[in-house]
Amino acid sequence: MNKTFAVIRREYVERVRTRAFLISTLLLPVFMVAMAVLPALLMRGGDHTSRVAVVDASGAGLGQPVMTALGTATFGDSAQVRPRYELTLFTTDTEHLDQVRSGLIAKAGFARDTQPDGWNGVLVLDADTLASGKLHYYGDDVSSPNGMGRLQREISKALAGVRLAHAGVDQALVAKAMAPADVDTAKVTDGKLTGQSGKASFVLAYAMGFILYIAILSYGSRTLTSVIEEKNSRIMEVLTSSLTPFQMLMGKVLGVGLAGLTQMAIWVGTALVLGSQGPHLAGAFGIGAAAGNFAIPSMPPSLLAVFLLYFTLGFLIYGSLYAAIGAMCNTIQEAQQYAVFVTMSIVVGFMSMFGLINNPSGMLGTTMSFIPFFAPFTMPVRWSMTAVPPTQLALSLGLMVLGLLACVWLAGRIYRTGILMYGKKPSWGELWRWIRA
Amino acid sequence: MSSISVESVTKRFAGHTAVSNLSLQVPSGGIYGLLGPNGAGKSTTIRLIMGILQPDEGRIALFGASGSGRNLSSRIGYLPEERGLYKKMKVLDHLVFLGEVKGISRTEARRRALVWLERLEIANWAQKKVEDLSKGMQQKVQFAGALLHEPELVILDEPFSGLDPINAQVMKDIVVEIAAAGRTVLLSTHVMEQAERMCDRVAIIARGKLVANGTVAQVKADFGGRHVALGFSGNRPLADAVLADPRLIARMDDYGASAELKMAEGAQPEQLLAALVNAGVGLRRFEVVEPSLHAIFVAKVNSDPDAAPLPVATGAAA
Repeated sequence: MNKTFAVIRREYVERVRTRAFLISTLLLPVFMVAMAVLPALLMRGGDHTSRVAVVDASGAGLGQPVMTALGTATFGDSAQVRPRYELTLFTTDTEHLDQVRSGLIAKAGFARDTQPDGWNGVLVLDADTLASGKLHYYGDDVSSPNGMGRLQREISKALAGVRLAHAGVDQALVAKAMAPADVDTAKVTDGKLTGQSGKASFVLAYAMGFILYIAILSYGSRTLTSVIEEKNSRIMEVLTSSLTPFQMLMGKVLGVGLAGLTQMAIWVGTALVLGSQGPHLAGAFGIGAAAGNFAIPSMPPSLLAVFLLYFTLGFLIYGSLYAAIGAMCNTIQEAQQYAVFVTMSIVVGFMSMFGLINNPSGMLGTTMSFIPFFAPFTMPVRWSMTAVPPTQLALSLGLMVLGLLACVWLAGRIYRTGILMYGKKPSWGELWRWIRA
Repeated sequence: MSSISVESVTKRFAGHTAVSNLSLQVPSGGIYGLLGPNGAGKSTTIRLIMGILQPDEGRIALFGASGSGRNLSSRIGYLPEERGLYKKMKVLDHLVFLGEVKGISRTEARRRALVWLERLEIANWAQKKVEDLSKGMQQKVQFAGALLHEPELVILDEPFSGLDPINAQVMKDIVVEIAAAGRTVLLSTHVMEQAERMCDRVAIIARGKLVANGTVAQVKADFGGRHVALGFSGNRPLADAVLADPRLIARMDDYGASAELKMAEGAQPEQLLAALVNAGVGLRRFEVVEPSLHAIFVAKVNSDPDAAPLPVATGAAA
């Protein structure tokens, strides 16, 4: 046991001490911050008051309701509300429409600082607008889907109001009828409200699956390279005279895994700090509340326990499989031919999460929770999104433990023979003999 | 009691038999030399003893108990032929790790490692990475690692290969010291002069088979015959006719400027001396000697009945 611990410590310390570890640990949070802050910074450019000329040639007084609808649109947080549009109404008739429109368009599309009285956009309501809903907008921001969508929604509301008014419906009633629906989702477990919103569950489930996926692909596969390095540096013979294959295998997988966990803990910690301090930090960067939306949903303890359990089991299963492949081969290139099978299984597990998000308790989800290679991905997702029957959880965990024992046993057998094999890689037949030997 | 007992062990690899029906008894205490040419099966034998490989037939017992080398690893120090260390680790950390996997505590391993580094005159390198060390220094580090847990049995596979004479001397002194303390050393080598000077007992193996075995004196006595060492000072070609006479000479290791001879049955050294002087050969040395292990080795290995003769070039061309 002490020997295994010595191997774990060596793997851990030697890994954490490297410059590569330090750099990758520091770079990712920098990258995360950039990811959180950059869109906000970019969005700030998009959020400004647009000067819009509304040309009303409808002859039906459509201009005023549209002005009112657009005039109520605002942006910014409660501390600093600013109108989205700065509107000017030009009423004309069909005959003079072309002339007015050309005059206005001539002053549109310039950067506002060089042409202070220019327009960002010209909105033209013609005679057909009320009946067909067709209208024209000429502006410098027509390629922004967000801005155009917003404009379209506001105008649709105004048009609907005017049409209803023309049909003789009371204005107050119209305003009431047009109030938007606001759906607030909440998750129910065992007939009880959990207080989590549906969106938060989704984010959590996705984040956990992603963490596991990244951890296995980047750290689990590192056991493979590490075993091959040991074979090539011929240290293996000294180790194998002092340690059992099981001690070497477990020490390596756990040591590499712990180093990976350390790095992830640093990252997750950074993310939590950023999340809780988001508004402050955002204030410090001067980007307003846009970045404050970056909130970390709280994680219920039971989910955390399930996740950690499956994470550990899954990591050990895949880590030992990767180590066994390393023991079989002499070069990384050679090992990749075998590693593809393991990687495929991880990708399938990860991808299945997206199917589950729609129907967590379906046939697919239930079946995959019982397959040890996939359960680490599917089970935490199901647990976070629906109520999983305790018998299913117990069965799935039992199968995971059996699967882990089988994998470690298998890997240990391959390890025992493989680590001293230099030269050509084994055929499937030879591999079978190693396992039986 | 034997430290190592190898009984009728056979190990086959795909296509060839590396060790064939080999039996050895390594007694406790002293230095035991495992001699043989390249590819004779020395390293395979050592790996079998260490439990790294499993024999196909026969059995191996260590310290009289039938446990594998791995279970008894805390009592055995092992320097493999393939030297290997973690290149990126610091020297001291590496030694501590090697001690730990042998089951000694961290603090104790550290204390002993520092003593060894001092002794091997590489204390200044303790905080350097292994990859910054020369090959010879790395070998010293690995040597120290094999001895850190003060094992009662030390197995060294080609311990002096690749070392300069100064470092080989330092290592030799340590090996002799271990044996003097009553511990057992098994070392493999193909450098006969070294084995002859250091070993109490030797086993010569060729093509996986034992060809000679016992104390150095026994092996020499078993080989028998009268041996003469010659040193030429001039007219070397004139000696050829005399040396080719099968009535005088049974076997010869020719080094050009010197030669070691085994006299033919019934022939006297004096007859040879007279013949050489009559032929006008200039002699620097003429001495009746014990056969060297080297001569025995070459003779035994070449006389192996079911083997093609070794290229004598190893000695003659030098």
